Amino acid sequence: MTGQLWAVAIAAFLASCVEFVEAFTIVLVVGVTVNWRSSLAGAAAAAGALAVIVAVFGTAIVTLVPIDALRLVVGLLLVLFGMKWLKKAILRYAGLKAIHDEEAIYEEHLAELRARGEAPPAKLDPFGFVTSFKSVLLEGLEVAFIVITFGLQANTKTQKNGIPIAAIGAVAAFIVIVTLGSVVRAPLQRVPENTLKFVVGVMLASFGTFWGGEGLGITWWKQDLSLPILVVFYLLVALALIQWLRPYAPARQVKASVRRDRLEQEQRPVEKEVLG
Amino acid sequence: MNRIMGILKATYNFFAGDAIILTAVIAAFVIGWLLVHAAKAPNALIAVVFIVLILAGITTTLGRELAGRKRA
Repeated sequence: MTGQLWAVAIAAFLASCVEFVEAFTIVLVVGVTVNWRSSLAGAAAAAGALAVIVAVFGTAIVTLVPIDALRLVVGLLLVLFGMKWLKKAILRYAGLKAIHDEEAIYEEHLAELRARGEAPPAKLDPFGFVTSFKSVLLEGLEVAFIVITFGLQANTKTQKNGIPIAAIGAVAAFIVIVTLGSVVRAPLQRVPENTLKFVVGVMLASFGTFWGGEGLGITWWKQDLSLPILVVFYLLVALALIQWLRPYAPARQVKASVRRDRLEQEQRPVEKEVLG
Repeated sequence: MNRIMGILKATYNFFAGDAIILTAVIAAFVIGWLLVHAAKAPNALIAVVFIVLILAGITTTLGRELAGRKRA
């Protein structure tokens, strides 16, 4: 293999790593917070759709698929999803969200199941499926663009292996990222539910802002490096919002009274037994 | 009619579920697009306006949750 083909393979590997990290982050957080069935089904459906698109269009995909329009739509939806999750998580952290609502009871039930080592019901969740689907589809298309553009640039009159070599770089990136992702999966599952939802909200909002901005035509400072900066920025803003709301919540009193009620209920049978 | 309204409501709840967030995010994208394509504004300014509008949505909707509550 020539030096130029090695350079193409390495460049495709590194560029694809960035795209796979972005897609895999969403699949991972959806898997941990919603359920793995929805997350993996969304990812698999996106991979299938991607395979069909690539098979139909081939290398013409670079000119035929309006990637900026796709970024715009995916970005808009991710910002909406992210803000919805972030709002709920911020209200819970600030103690403003009702403790005895249906969702809280359901989450309590899930937490109990997890504590007993039982799996939560793996029903196909539309939110999880769609979030995972569009992230994998968008990032997958970007990887396809990388492979085709890098590969075509490496092709000469005598050498036509540019695209397969770039594809090998992308496949290697996929294997590396999925392996690393499986390692971090287990510790992630021990993180409390609301913390995860808070982090997912921040991530979705950041990714959505980044992709949506790219779709609009904004050139982010240092391109993909802006993404972690956006994540930190949204995180700091969300923490500031929690601090702002917290003084308005009687959360500790409510929690304390609920805990006291539960303790009393638990103690009553014991008292009956002891006191006769 | 009721079925159509039901579908519309379910779609709205699925994608947004909060009118303030929905309005702010759509405004961010529309104004961002206008700044890029019509006004040809500087890149940094567009990015700042875009992010500020998105954050204005969540801040406003959270602020509404405080209605009638007293500071502890």
